Amino acid sequence: MKGAEEVSDLILEDVRKEFGSFVAVQGANLTFEAGKLTALLGPSGCGKTTLLRMIAGLEGPTKGRILLNGQDIAPLPAEKRKFGMVFQSFALFPHLNVARNVSYSLRIAGVDAATRRARAQELLDLVQLGDKGQNRVGELSGGQRQRVAIARALAQEPEIFLLDEPMSALDAKLRNDMQMELRLLQQRLGITTIVVTHDQREAMTMADRIVVMSHGRVEQVGTPQEIYHRPANAFVASFIGNANLLQGLSTERGVRLGDTEFAVADHGGFGAGRAVTLFCRPEAVRLSDSVPAANGLPGTVTFVRDEGVAREVHLDTPAGHVTAEIPGSFHETVRIGDRVHVEFPADTLHLLPAIESKAA
Amino acid sequence: MTASTLPQRSVLRGIGVLHVAAVLVLAVVPFLLVFAISFGHKVEGAAWVWGFELTNYRRFFVGTDYPDSVSLLYLKYLWYSVWYALVAAILAVATAFPFVWLMTRGSRRAQTVWLVFFLCSLTFSEVFIVMGWDILMSNRSGLPMVFQETGLTDWLKENGGLDLLREWGLATPRNVRFKPSEFATILTLTYLVWPYAVILLYPPISKIEREVVEAARTMGASPFTVVRTVVMPMVRTPLVGAVLLLFVFLLGAYVTIAVFADPSKHTLSISVYEAVRGSTLNAPFGSAQAVVLLLTAAAVLVIGQRFLSAKTGGH
Repeated sequence: MKGAEEVSDLILEDVRKEFGSFVAVQGANLTFEAGKLTALLGPSGCGKTTLLRMIAGLEGPTKGRILLNGQDIAPLPAEKRKFGMVFQSFALFPHLNVARNVSYSLRIAGVDAATRRARAQELLDLVQLGDKGQNRVGELSGGQRQRVAIARALAQEPEIFLLDEPMSALDAKLRNDMQMELRLLQQRLGITTIVVTHDQREAMTMADRIVVMSHGRVEQVGTPQEIYHRPANAFVASFIGNANLLQGLSTERGVRLGDTEFAVADHGGFGAGRAVTLFCRPEAVRLSDSVPAANGLPGTVTFVRDEGVAREVHLDTPAGHVTAEIPGSFHETVRIGDRVHVEFPADTLHLLPAIESKAA
Repeated sequence: MTASTLPQRSVLRGIGVLHVAAVLVLAVVPFLLVFAISFGHKVEGAAWVWGFELTNYRRFFVGTDYPDSVSLLYLKYLWYSVWYALVAAILAVATAFPFVWLMTRGSRRAQTVWLVFFLCSLTFSEVFIVMGWDILMSNRSGLPMVFQETGLTDWLKENGGLDLLREWGLATPRNVRFKPSEFATILTLTYLVWPYAVILLYPPISKIEREVVEAARTMGASPFTVVRTVVMPMVRTPLVGAVLLLFVFLLGAYVTIAVFADPSKHTLSISVYEAVRGSTLNAPFGSAQAVVLLLTAAAVLVIGQRFLSAKTGGH
């Protein structure tokens, strides 16, 4: 594998893709750090796969540049870029056995048969399928097929390793295992990797950085922790995990929700009197029988989802619907209809642009 | 088992027996009749009588006057039957393959339009198609006249092209000439089965996932290399199957051969017809020829099947 020190960052400059009148990707400016794993995360139709396909050379950008090692590779077809790619369906060749699938790129490159065999074996050992070389693709399980697809994509020692929804065809248990395996493999090889996924848990598990996309736009770029704890807007906040998003007006030191003023740790630079969204994660919300000193609202429990390790409590408050996540203690019970006090600790609150103003 | 299922089972069994009987009557019995008649005896100046003699087969393989002399006339007809059918079937599949591949890369709407067009073209009978090609190839009103009127004939004369075409039997000293010729025969036969080739190849080729092709491209394969190393191996069985099916279909072509082939290069289908319905009225000999033709087709199918088994058995 080419080490990270040999490869520069992959840079996208104002990359745009149109299909007729439909804009799939709007002016994406991104830097994919060499040797790091970046996840393109977003709902279906947000443009993440189109962006990946443009990087692979399977789609040409309508506008913009894709720079690698200082060279614009946007005009190069996929066969000239030779970025290893794992597809959603794995796209293994059914007419070739496992070893020949893995060594296909070497055959195309004119590498001699003995070297091809040795390299295929090396890669199959890497993905723990060393004894499956002579098997037919149809004889493999879903997880094994995925490993073969990974080994095949790595055979040509690609500068960039691309994966398009690689876990979507796997069951939940296998998906968890493969997420960890893939992350460990990527770290061992130090190869620049871009993964497309709509699963935020998958992105959080594997990625050094996450690019959150929506409607062809890049909404936020950051580490998993930044994305989770400091979302840039209401879309990111709600797409990554659960979020309480309450509409209010900003004040000098916080936000006013109805008649109550809340102090917030991250004011976000909003001037007083502006419509804003108050963001708070459910696990930060506290419930108590007594009135809190500050940042409190009365609430009525409308639903309780017991998840064993925790309970998700849904409440109606004067500021709107609130979700709280409390430890799943066996002795403490919260019932539908209970009247409680809801506290939003100031250090967990952030102000985001109002949803209405963003849509406009 | 309940009492009500017993009558149902007997009804189903009855339908099964009827089905087998229908297959026997419609498919096996005619063949057995032809096979039996092929051993019959032709009475000169009259019809024929049942019997068991190998005269007709001897006539087919070595001629009537064997051992005084040997005639390979009917083996030659057999050769031309196989030659025309095999070349036309291979040409049809070879030319339909890239077309179908490009067609399946197009939009769904375009694919539907093409398929409807080809299905419609199947309604044309061989007679109708041959009539069209007959006009197209005719020396007085077809392509030869186009060559002459556009000056292409003169250009060919000046550049020695006409002499070359004469060597291939496609020209006279004055102009190009496509009738009769092996070229026109094979071209028309190819045209005749081309829609079938498209319709046979469309399902397997359209099933090839786009991602498989793209995966090969990301591994350095050019579009041509993708077709050569991925697409064609994936549809090897349908390709060979289509060639075999069209070959068998073309073995029995009659009108095309009668119109475009030189009489010295006619096929067994013409010879069979002349024996059975022509002036000789020699049904036993016609049947013997038909049996040989059938066994030839069976032999080619077995060879094709073995070829596929050998190829798909390995990795």
